[in-house]
Amino acid sequence: MRFRAGIESVDTFYKIIQAVEKLQKRCVIKFTETDLHIICANDVNEGGIQVWSQIKIPSLFNDLRIQSNANNQISMLLSPEALLSALRSAANPSTASTSNAVLHQVEAVMRLAKKNDQAVLSFEINGLSRNAGRYVRVNHDVRIEIMKPQDVQRLSEPMCPEPDVHVLLPQLTKLRAVVERLRSLSDTVAIRANRSGRLEFSVRTDSVSTDVAWTGLSNPTMAKEGGSQEPSQISQPHDPEEMFGVLISVKSFLQFLNSHVVSTTTIACICQNHCMILYVYIGEVADAGGVLTYYIPAMVDDTS
Amino acid sequence: MPRSDSDVSDVQEQDVPHVLSAYVHDVRYFAALLRGVSFAKMASVTIMDSGLIVTTEEARTLLGTAYIFADIFDEYTYNPPSQQQLPSQSQSADSERENEELNAAFDINLSVLLECLNILGTAGPTTTNLKTNDKAHRFHGLGQGDGGNDNEPGPSKRNGRKDDKDVAGNARLDQYFGGGGKKTGMRLSYAGAGYPLTLLIAEEADGPTATCEITTFDPEPRLELPFDAEQTALRIILKSSWLRDALSELEPSCEKVTIVGNPPPPEGRVPRTSTPRLRLKAVGNWGSTEMDYPNDREVLEACDCPVAVSFSYKHSHLQKAARALQTSTKTSLRIDQDGLLSLQFLMPSPRARPGKSANAFVEFRCMALEGDD
Repeated sequence: MRFRAGIESVDTFYKIIQAVEKLQKRCVIKFTETDLHIICANDVNEGGIQVWSQIKIPSLFNDLRIQSNANNQISMLLSPEALLSALRSAANPSTASTSNAVLHQVEAVMRLAKKNDQAVLSFEINGLSRNAGRYVRVNHDVRIEIMKPQDVQRLSEPMCPEPDVHVLLPQLTKLRAVVERLRSLSDTVAIRANRSGRLEFSVRTDSVSTDVAWTGLSNPTMAKEGGSQEPSQISQPHDPEEMFGVLISVKSFLQFLNSHVVSTTTIACICQNHCMILYVYIGEVADAGGVLTYYIPAMVDDTS
Repeated sequence: MPRSDSDVSDVQEQDVPHVLSAYVHDVRYFAALLRGVSFAKMASVTIMDSGLIVTTEEARTLLGTAYIFADIFDEYTYNPPSQQQLPSQSQSADSERENEELNAAFDINLSVLLECLNILGTAGPTTTNLKTNDKAHRFHGLGQGDGGNDNEPGPSKRNGRKDDKDVAGNARLDQYFGGGGKKTGMRLSYAGAGYPLTLLIAEEADGPTATCEITTFDPEPRLELPFDAEQTALRIILKSSWLRDALSELEPSCEKVTIVGNPPPPEGRVPRTSTPRLRLKAVGNWGSTEMDYPNDREVLEACDCPVAVSFSYKHSHLQKAARALQTSTKTSLRIDQDGLLSLQFLMPSPRARPGKSANAFVEFRCMALEGDD
């Protein structure tokens, strides 16, 4: 089993890990010759949010060498938090070009290694120190656990019916400001959308009933495959004003909103009273370097 | 826009006018006033021709009141519930008579109301620079403060270099009410007893709109702490920033704060060595703080104190005023013969409107601790 890759877009890689970091203590990372998959699918987290992401190797890495007996795929369990701190030495995640990163002109390479009988993902980061302009080399080892191919196969993406509505979400940072307020009012939020570009977030409690509505959003047609879904052609005529809703945990939705650091375009799909699926595109949709797919299941629903 | 399935629109369809319908194009000032009294969860709201009065209380000792005049709204229509057939009556400019019978009142969960006002994240406090400020000036030392406190700003400085303070104060207000940035408009309406308070909040541009219906409750009888102006023992007007800094520097562990007022020094004495006109004293487990305000017009704009007075108040109660002080520019501090403390904080209106005195204010009244030394 051999694995080595140069990390070309450290910042993007850092942001992607940041987007999933808060979800689970450990997540599954699977490398193939063409894609990187990040999977957070434990049932233990509250609200039941799952992430299945698929990122094209060239959009993050260069010079990938991968060899294994399992079809040249390598899957590992690791702590996203540890991975994040390893990348932090090389990343310069602030969007402003005037950075305060420790290193610049960074070259980062990660490889699979074994140290003291422990499998690790070893990061070697070379760069010039910001202050002195000296050459600096940083090594980080992130403990991992190689997964058996049969365990990997047991992981399966949740099955969802064809979504009732697709809607392009407003800027996630703005959305987050609203959802954070909603969280202080209630633990659950009803999210509704229709095919005329309307999106509503509603909270009902004894002391307050709140609806926040966006209008004029676009309803993309998901003709081609996005994530794992069946191609969904919107063929049958529907009332474009009809609202489709799902009741979910506010906390789960906020976990999804952590992806605002990496998102450019996010499409939300609602399967009425079943689940919400969120596609966070990395890079422009046209040549998306990858997509993070969040599944948030419906909570037991007796209102809508 | 009201949702078609809500109760409110049903009411609107009928011809009964709402008890209250008000609109403001920028919600931040309204939110800042409410935040000033938000030390308790529940608040009583009284609606009158001249505006809204929002009161909160704690431990039957501390009463916070925000006077929100109708002028701060761009539109304000009040229809007394008993006289709904004569809505034009309430519009008359002569609203001097405050007839209790004509007021509508309800109790409401103030923290929910504030969350709703800030639902789009646009009405929140911008306290970042305040926080660092407070931290920098926090009282660190042990032992007796000597009242001189020369490295501290504000009250204790005798040669009053107030200019930087003023600049800081203005910058802070600009953050609250600054012209730039997007404004969030709000329509407030209340259909009458038993109906929720409805807020419609929208950003100027094609941003989101929020509709909030907040449950109202029948008004509970509220604490009344009448201040007898005839019996005023101490009356002081000073810049709010100087009181705010003093409060933030009080020894955190102290239980009570003593306010001492002294009469003016006899004629002919040099002001530099005069006794302080106002002193805040706090004794805690790990040290004590004493803060003196000298007899200087730059510091105390007005100070009436015929006889020396000294009353103590619960420290935690005084600290409740901190939020109102953040937005306030000027404070009137009064104490009557019984020790009842009245703090009135002038909350500068975002824009001066010709012919209108739109500056709202927040008042705190606090009873003195008994058995004072």
